[in-house]
Amino acid sequence: MAKATPLNSFLDQAGSLSKFSFRFLWQWFKPRYEGSEFLRQCYVIGYNSLPLIGLTGFIMGLVLTMQLRPSMIEYGVESQLPAIVGISVVREIGPVITALIFAGKIGSSIGAELGSMKVTEQIDAMQVSGTNPFKYLVVSRVLAATLMLPILVILSDAISLYGSYIGVNIRGNTSFNLFWTQVFDNLAFYDVLPAFIKTFFFGFAVGIIGCFKGYNSNKGTEGVGRSANSAVVVSSIMIFILDLLAVQITDVLGFN
Amino acid sequence: MNNVKLGAFVLAGLFCLILLLYMIGKNRNMFGSNFILKSRFENVQGLKQGNNVRYAGIDVGTVKKVTIINDTLMEVIMIIDNKMKTVIHKNALVSIATDGLVGNKVVNISAVKQLAPLAQNGDILASKRPLDTDEMLKKLNNTNNDIGSVAEELKYTIQRINNSNALWSVLNEKGLPQNLKLSAINIRQATARAKDMANDLYAIVNDVKMGKGSIGSILTDTSFAYNLNEAVVKIKSVGDEADSLSRQISDAVSGIQRDVDSGKGTIHSLLKDSLLVIKLNKSLDNIQQGTDGFNQNMEALKHNFLFRGYFRRLEKQKIGIKKDQ
Amino acid sequence: MMITENKTILKDAVVKGDEPVMIIRNVYKSFENNHVLVDFNLDLYKGENVVVLGKSGSGKSVLIKCIVGLLKPDKGTIEVFGKNIPELNEAELDQVIARVGFLFQSNALYDSMTVRENLEFPLRRHWIKVTQEEVNTMVMNALEDVGLEHTVDMMPIELSGGMRKRIALARTLILKPDIILYDEPTTGLDPITGKEIIKLMVDIQKKYNTSSLIISHDMNCVRMASDRIVILLDGKCYANGTYAELKKNEDPKVKQFFE
Repeated sequence: MAKATPLNSFLDQAGSLSKFSFRFLWQWFKPRYEGSEFLRQCYVIGYNSLPLIGLTGFIMGLVLTMQLRPSMIEYGVESQLPAIVGISVVREIGPVITALIFAGKIGSSIGAELGSMKVTEQIDAMQVSGTNPFKYLVVSRVLAATLMLPILVILSDAISLYGSYIGVNIRGNTSFNLFWTQVFDNLAFYDVLPAFIKTFFFGFAVGIIGCFKGYNSNKGTEGVGRSANSAVVVSSIMIFILDLLAVQITDVLGFN
Repeated sequence: MNNVKLGAFVLAGLFCLILLLYMIGKNRNMFGSNFILKSRFENVQGLKQGNNVRYAGIDVGTVKKVTIINDTLMEVIMIIDNKMKTVIHKNALVSIATDGLVGNKVVNISAVKQLAPLAQNGDILASKRPLDTDEMLKKLNNTNNDIGSVAEELKYTIQRINNSNALWSVLNEKGLPQNLKLSAINIRQATARAKDMANDLYAIVNDVKMGKGSIGSILTDTSFAYNLNEAVVKIKSVGDEADSLSRQISDAVSGIQRDVDSGKGTIHSLLKDSLLVIKLNKSLDNIQQGTDGFNQNMEALKHNFLFRGYFRRLEKQKIGIKKDQ
Repeated sequence: MMITENKTILKDAVVKGDEPVMIIRNVYKSFENNHVLVDFNLDLYKGENVVVLGKSGSGKSVLIKCIVGLLKPDKGTIEVFGKNIPELNEAELDQVIARVGFLFQSNALYDSMTVRENLEFPLRRHWIKVTQEEVNTMVMNALEDVGLEHTVDMMPIELSGGMRKRIALARTLILKPDIILYDEPTTGLDPITGKEIIKLMVDIQKKYNTSSLIISHDMNCVRMASDRIVILLDGKCYANGTYAELKKNEDPKVKQFFE
């Protein structure tokens, strides 16, 4: 065994996480499929996150609009406010902020839940009860997170653009139709699709890291807290790294 | 119950996504019926797929593709809304412009007053040559060169006239005073014209600097304005020089006139230098040519699409002043 | 008896009278440099309650986790109903494990499920083809066995420690197992509740004629529940005998458990 230097433990974590991800991909294709548990997790992870995501999205759109307005007026392009907010929300801020909130809510709850299940032997109990806990707990959660986050991001985008509409109308006067026309006029497929595709990866990252941290939780309640905490930290960092990768890839592919 | 909520949630998300994609697609004319029009340009100035096409300022379609036909000809293929089939005629003119101050390129289709059949799918419409600032500068440069050579000749002549008594020999020729007088008048006319044009150019430059007029937005390039300015200054100086020359000649002529009238013969010895006569004549010709060339350039400038509006306005103003009088 | 019911899916694993239901031979298990089990041997006969006695960290839990396949021994065989656990694949293991109940030290009740769902979980997992009616009867029967019918729609978090232990026991019993493994059943309970649990264990053992392997260091438990005691020391089966026999044993290493 190598010494527990920070670099070593980092590499160890990265290696274990990769192994865990491969295990996920491997188990995912094999029966038996935990359909009802997957749906339950979709409900918990997706639907139950909507109020929080909606609220933050709304505030984000509103604040962004109000913050941008003075500069836009200075440059005489106040009428472009919906376009600017639309592009920045759809391309970057919507996916990233939503994913971060999602990491805070879902990453920590998965980490804590699986962590406490691990610590109180519930995972062992499942295995003894003829259930593959990896499938039942990990696969269903990771899949649910991967599929639910894109939907949350789309809804959050819509809500935050509505917030922006309200923000535009606090000081100015833009009709609902004109606002949306301006937003859509300035969006292209290459704005929407890369942003949409990257949210699947964000969702996957949050799910797999949450599960990884929880599933490998150490004994004791302190371990549970640490799993939840590091699930959020690592998945937040991961979101930014993936975002960086996404922008580079879309750039290379010429969609920017 | 939870499944119902989950279903509603997922469907709402998918609905928003589809709506978003549909709205974008609609803006790109991906749905609904449309037809194709083409136009050819020497230079498309960075026009790209997806840029808007406007007819009389209304968005009617998008650029589908820009293809290269040969080394000097590009073809722009546009998707136009079917509704415009009853509006766009075959003789419509297509031009490329910029949307706003720093906006995207747009294709403008503008109607021409003459009657023509309606445009069909796949028609190639005539294009208006986009404004090319390089060419404008080249023209002004030509003018500059012309004026420059004229000025040099003039200077030389004036020096000769000032320094040499040979002038008097020239003036001995009979009938010369008449010729000189005529030349002087010509020069004066030329310089007057030159002055007018110089003033016109000055005004343009000022307008450009203040960002007025149709060209104001395009000519943000200050080096262009500087070049234009310099040209005007040169023209002006030529005009001044020509002016002073003509005054001198005029003085000389009146002096000779007086001498000839009074029958004094003190200049006879000086009048033998025939070379000088030729040179002087040539100079005068040069001045004439120079100003003529300048006139032509100016005329060309007037027809240039960029300045047309300006001159038209100037004319209107002149008419207005005349009416007032 | 209801045990016959689950035998139908396990036709080949018929348990005979005095045959051992579980044979553990030469089991080694170590974690890095910590040798937990060293050449461990144990037999468990039908209808017998065996208590494994040992200090904390002596590898008792590791032993029973090896029996249900949660851990893989480094060496040795663990035959349960004639099948060697470490060699089985997932499906085969699942069939054998369906007849082995496991009562976890921390109960391992699923926090996110009601008591009913907790009890249904192993049922639905092992036998997919049971009607809801059958499931309901089995759940209520199991709760009746532990005397907690009224808690059926409560969440585990609402229950006391003793009740949770009993619910966990009910969940273990619902499959009518032939062997029940108890991991420190009285830990974390007050002595009175602990005694109740032990009484319940003994009652159930008599009622269903199961074999039990009990891991404990609680002497009340050992005295009341054991037919036979195995002392696990240094990874080996150090001593083997009834409570009375071992109590008399003069070996200081045995004696320390009975003081």
